[in-house]
Amino acid sequence: MATNIIELKDINKTYPGIVPLHVLKGINLGIEKGELVSIMGASGSGKSTLLNILGILDNYDSGEYKLDNVLIKDLSENHAAELRNKMIGFVFQSFNLIGYKNALENVALPLFYQGVPRKKRNRMAMEQLERMGLADRALHLPGELSGGQKQRVAIARSLITNPTIILADEPTGALDSQTSKEVMEVFRILNEEGMTVVIVTHDPGVAKATHRIIRIEDGLIVPEKPQIYV
Amino acid sequence: MFDLFREISQTLANNKLRTFLTGISVAWGIFMLIVLLGMARGVVNSFEGSNWSKTSNKISIYQGRTSQSYKGYAEGRLITPEMSDMEYLKENNPDYVSDVTSYIYMGSTIFSTSKDYISVNPQGVYPYEQKQDNVNVIAGRFINDSDIRENRKTIVIEEKNAKTLFGDAKEAVGKRVDAMGLSWLVVGVYSHEWRDNVYLPFSTVKLLKGNDRDVSNLTVEIKNVSTIEDGESAEKEIRNSLAGKHEYSPEDKSGLYFYNSFTDYLKNKTVFGILSLSVWIIGIFTLLSGIIGVSNIMFVSVRERTHEIGIRRAIGAKPRNILVQILAESVVITTLFGYVGVVLGMIVTQIISKFTEGTNFLKNPTVSMEIALEVTVVLIIAGMIAGFFPARKATKVKPVEALRDE
Repeated sequence: MATNIIELKDINKTYPGIVPLHVLKGINLGIEKGELVSIMGASGSGKSTLLNILGILDNYDSGEYKLDNVLIKDLSENHAAELRNKMIGFVFQSFNLIGYKNALENVALPLFYQGVPRKKRNRMAMEQLERMGLADRALHLPGELSGGQKQRVAIARSLITNPTIILADEPTGALDSQTSKEVMEVFRILNEEGMTVVIVTHDPGVAKATHRIIRIEDGLIVPEKPQIYV
Repeated sequence: MFDLFREISQTLANNKLRTFLTGISVAWGIFMLIVLLGMARGVVNSFEGSNWSKTSNKISIYQGRTSQSYKGYAEGRLITPEMSDMEYLKENNPDYVSDVTSYIYMGSTIFSTSKDYISVNPQGVYPYEQKQDNVNVIAGRFINDSDIRENRKTIVIEEKNAKTLFGDAKEAVGKRVDAMGLSWLVVGVYSHEWRDNVYLPFSTVKLLKGNDRDVSNLTVEIKNVSTIEDGESAEKEIRNSLAGKHEYSPEDKSGLYFYNSFTDYLKNKTVFGILSLSVWIIGIFTLLSGIIGVSNIMFVSVRERTHEIGIRRAIGAKPRNILVQILAESVVITTLFGYVGVVLGMIVTQIISKFTEGTNFLKNPTVSMEIALEVTVVLIIAGMIAGFFPARKATKVKPVEALRDE
C-alpha cells in the first residue's frame, strides 16, 4: 500500500453558536502521494470546512489529521503559518493576488515570509513564471492580466515553496470553459510531474478531469460505489 | 529590513492620498512642537545669556533707611555701606563669603580733551565690575589690580564717549583726558548696548573723595550655595553681620537694601523650567491629535486590507510578520511626515531668529540638534503607539479570510 500523504481519521468539527453547527461528523479520508483528486459536495455539505482543515487554515475538534506523517493538531498560529508556508500551495477561486504587486512579486511573496533574500526570491519566482509560460508578464500587475493568466500566476505562487500538496479551491470558478480547460491541463501536468493535487469543486466537468472524486454530503464522505464496467 | 521597507513603500504608495492626509496631521503637530520649543528656547537663551546668570552668585548691598527703632536709635536713620564692611564681611562670614567688592560714584564730573568734553558721573570700581556690568572691552583693557594698588589715574570709557573726546574710538587708548585738574590715561574702550559709564580705579576715586569712608555698594560673592534656601540663609547671615556692625535691627529689611541675584536667578530658572515643560506639554498634545489621526487611518487601512492580510496569512505570514508590518507602516508615516514638520519648523524658527536678532527677549530661538534627536525618538514612539492597536487588530485576522470572496 502506498503511503497516504493526507490521512484523516474521524475528523469532527462543530461551529459553536446559539445553535451549534456540527459540520464535519467523522471524516475518514486518505489521499496517496501523487494523486490528483477532487472533493465535491453541495454548498453546506462541509466541503469548505474540510478544505480549511486540510489547508491548516482552521482547527478541528476531534480526530487526527496527518499531513506527510506530521500530525496537524492544536498548532500555534506561528507553527500553523510555517507549515502552511512550507507544505501547502494554495490556489483560490478569486486568485487572491495582491493588486499592487506585480506578478513576479506576488509569486515571490511566500518566500518573503521564509526570509529568502530578494534576488534569490525573484530568480525562483521567475523560474516558476517561465514554467507557467508567463515570463513576459512578470512585471505586469494582476489588473493587467486575463483570468487564466492570473490563475497561472497564482499556481506559480503555490508552487514556489515546493509544497507537499497543492490545495485548489474552485480554481476554475471564475473562469470561462476554455480557460478552465487550460488551467486543469496545468494541474494535470503538475500531477504527472509527481505533485499531489487536491481540487475542491462543485463542477462535475472539473471533477471528471481528476483521477478520483471524493464526495462529501452532510458532513460525511460518501462511500465510493464499486465501479461497474460493462 | 530593506525588504520590509519595500513592502511598506509599496502599500503607502498604493494609498498616496490617504498617506498624505494622515501625514499632514503629524507634520502639523511636530511643526507646532518645534516652533513652540524654538520660541521657548529663545526666551530661555536670552535669560541664560544675560549677565544675570554669569553673576548669579552675588548679593548686592546698597544704602537704605531703617524702618524700626533699635538700641535707642530712632527709625528713619540712613545706613550707608562702608569701606570697612568689605574686610568685616570676609572675616565674619567665612562659610558663605568668598569675596567682597564695591564701587563708589564720584559725582558729576567733566572730562575734556582739546577736541570736546563729556559730563558724566564716573564710577570707581574693582576689576570685577567688568563681569558685573557685562563690559565688552574692544580696545585696551579694563581697570586692573595694579591700577587699584597704585592708585593710578587710569580711565575706561565707552565707544561713543571715546568718539566724542578723540574722534576715533580705537585711537583713544593711550591718550590723555583732563578732569578734576588731573590728567587721566585712557587704558580701555568698551562697547555696550546702552551703558556708558566711565570707569576709574576704586582706590583712586576713594582718595579723591577725601577718604570718605562711605561706598555706594557692596557686592558680596557667596559660596557653598546651591538651593534657594542656601541663598536665603547666606543673605540672612550677611544681613545679621552688617546689622550688628551698623547697629540696626537684623529684622529690619530696609536698613540696608539687599539684592540677592542668586535666589532671584534660581527662582527665574524655575519659572523658565516650567515654561519649557508647558511648551513640551502643549506640543505633545498637539502631536497627540496627529497620532490619533494616524491610528484612526491605520484602523481603516487594516479593515480595508483584511482580505489581503488573510491572503498573506494563508501563504505563510506569521501574526508577528503582520504586526511588524503595520507597526512599521505607522512608524514610517509618522517619522517621514514628522521630519517634514521638523524641517518646516526649523525653517520658521530660523526666520523668526533673523527677525528678532539683537532683541533682548528672544535670543536665538532655534532648536538644537539635541532637540531634533529627542523629537525623532518622540516620533518613533508616537508611531509605535499609533500603530499598536490597529496592528494588534490586524494580527487577529484569520487566514480563512483569504477564502472569503470580496
